[in-house]
Amino acid sequence: MTPRWLVLPRLSWRNVRRQWRRSLLTGTAMALGVAALVFSRTLGDGAHEDWIDSGVRMGSGHIAVQSPQFRASRKLEDRISAGDWEKVSAALEAPGVAPFVARVTPRLEVIGLANSPTSAVPVMIMGVDPASEAEFSQLGVEQRLVEGRYLEPGDRLHVYIGKRLAERLDLELGSRMVLSAQDVNGDIAGQLVRVVGIFQTGVPESDEGIVHVPLHTVQQWMGVEGDITTLSILLHSGWEVPRVLRRVRALVGEMTQGVSVLGWREAMPELDAAIKLDDFWGYVFNIVLFVIVALAIVNTILMSVLYRTREFGVLRALGLTKRETATVVFTEGLMLTGIAGVVGLLLGFGLVWLLFRNGLDYSGAIENDFTFSGVVLDTLVIPVFRWIQVVMSLGSIIAVGVLASLYPAYRATRIDVAEAMKFEA
Amino acid sequence: MSKQPAVHTEDVWKVFEHDGISVEAVRGVTMDIQPGEFVVMAGPSGSGKTTLLNLLGGLTRPTRGKVWIDGNDLTELSERRLAQLRLQRVGFVFQAYNLLPVLTALENAEFSLLLRGVPDEERHAKVRALFEKIGIAGLEDRRPSKLSGGQQQRVAVARAVVGEPALVLADEPTANLDTATSVALLDVMTRLNQEMGTTFVFATHDQRLMERAQRLIRLVDGAIETDDRRSAPAAR
Repeated sequence: MTPRWLVLPRLSWRNVRRQWRRSLLTGTAMALGVAALVFSRTLGDGAHEDWIDSGVRMGSGHIAVQSPQFRASRKLEDRISAGDWEKVSAALEAPGVAPFVARVTPRLEVIGLANSPTSAVPVMIMGVDPASEAEFSQLGVEQRLVEGRYLEPGDRLHVYIGKRLAERLDLELGSRMVLSAQDVNGDIAGQLVRVVGIFQTGVPESDEGIVHVPLHTVQQWMGVEGDITTLSILLHSGWEVPRVLRRVRALVGEMTQGVSVLGWREAMPELDAAIKLDDFWGYVFNIVLFVIVALAIVNTILMSVLYRTREFGVLRALGLTKRETATVVFTEGLMLTGIAGVVGLLLGFGLVWLLFRNGLDYSGAIENDFTFSGVVLDTLVIPVFRWIQVVMSLGSIIAVGVLASLYPAYRATRIDVAEAMKFEA
Repeated sequence: MSKQPAVHTEDVWKVFEHDGISVEAVRGVTMDIQPGEFVVMAGPSGSGKTTLLNLLGGLTRPTRGKVWIDGNDLTELSERRLAQLRLQRVGFVFQAYNLLPVLTALENAEFSLLLRGVPDEERHAKVRALFEKIGIAGLEDRRPSKLSGGQQQRVAVARAVVGEPALVLADEPTANLDTATSVALLDVMTRLNQEMGTTFVFATHDQRLMERAQRLIRLVDGAIETDDRRSAPAAR
């Protein structure tokens, strides 16, 4: 026995098939809309991951452990004691945290001046642990290394500087320079260092404003033996940040009150804002796209309802209620949307996979390095595939389908049965 | 004890408003139609035949007055109950056949049984037997677009009577058919009336149909002018 509720979708499906040209045209528009959404999400998420990865490596990591006042003051007095950051390092070894942690590096950041016989330039002096920092910021990788080498564990009075700074100070590999900054006592202290390597990131602020010096050298020079200003933590995946952040906060909170644990969004609000802005425009694009798709659905189904006025009259005369008549129309919209949604997903993911799985290279479209919020953006965007994209894309098109089918369904209930019988399509 | 009428109307009026002008399409119609009657409502265009038919079928509600089908007061029923009543107790045959184009002849004919939840086998058997009886056996799987006008109207008749309703309302069922096809269709309906006891109420201009009427109601300007009862209709 066919239950009554199954009669209606059967009727809807037959009607979708009956107007196959119209259905195909509307379905194609919807599928292309979904494909475009998938396209923009996979590549957009890929680009954002790249931004975040570049940003957190050059910046303070996915998670930064600092003194609560340091982010605002940037002063040496707002540092983490050797004892505290050892406790934090121990917390990172906890079973619920350690598997997610890829790299940890300590930094002692001091604002100072880089001096040469010809000039002086304000810089951020970063005392770094050469071994862990090399893996973390990747400032010494081949693509960024212009000359010389990155710092090594045995280095002491050595410095790694950017190309623009070298040009400003007229320095070359092996040149000596003086770094000066206010030490822990408030006195201006100078440190003579020798250039062992020159890098270029493409970000003017970094290439001119950052110098890497061995951590213990800066600690001794500043008189803060063993202390640091930031413990930067890099995770295997940026998606794990909220979870790990919660756990680290809980663990660190139990051990010491002297530090705050920040996620990259808090530690680097400019990057966070940049990604949110990009997301916002992405959403605007998607909304415009889906409004167009919704209009196509409304148009198709409404035309179909008006064209079939007499049929709806007959259905009502045969005993269908208004609600059931609306269900027939509504289900038509849902069927069309569902099929188009699945086709759009396959099309979108398929095309991105086929054409761009190794990355979309837009280097040809821009002449110079593309920097954004202090981060050099890779011109090769690798798409990211996630289940949430499937859920979001399908959910969006179905929501659009539901909304767009409501009005035609309502119109079908407003048909006057007796009048409908006189209707000529 | 007298039988409950298939249809009973009491001072039924239907007034349409168009741009502030009132048109009285049906004026104070009171009548009974007994089960098994073969009634023809005749009258010139605009006499209110179709409107009265729509009122009897619950397709439109009266401006004033009452309509009972099988003892149910249509004016008191909710939209949902009215739909249920149409499904269970009323069959319609329209001038333009009005088969659902996406369904086959069999699916069209069995539609009301499907909505009533009649099991597949019983439904199919009933429709096939009816198709046999009205001369369209073998056309079950054809879509309406692959049927002639006469065949479509027979399918429409099958759809109207298959659920054994208390009342079949037919609005100009022969208007779009040629003479031979009309006669054949009238034969079918006369036979169904006689064999199954189905109550038929027609609105028509067709003289041939009027000749077969067991009861001929003439409408003029929305009111009953004459109501003649005759002998049982004859199948030709």
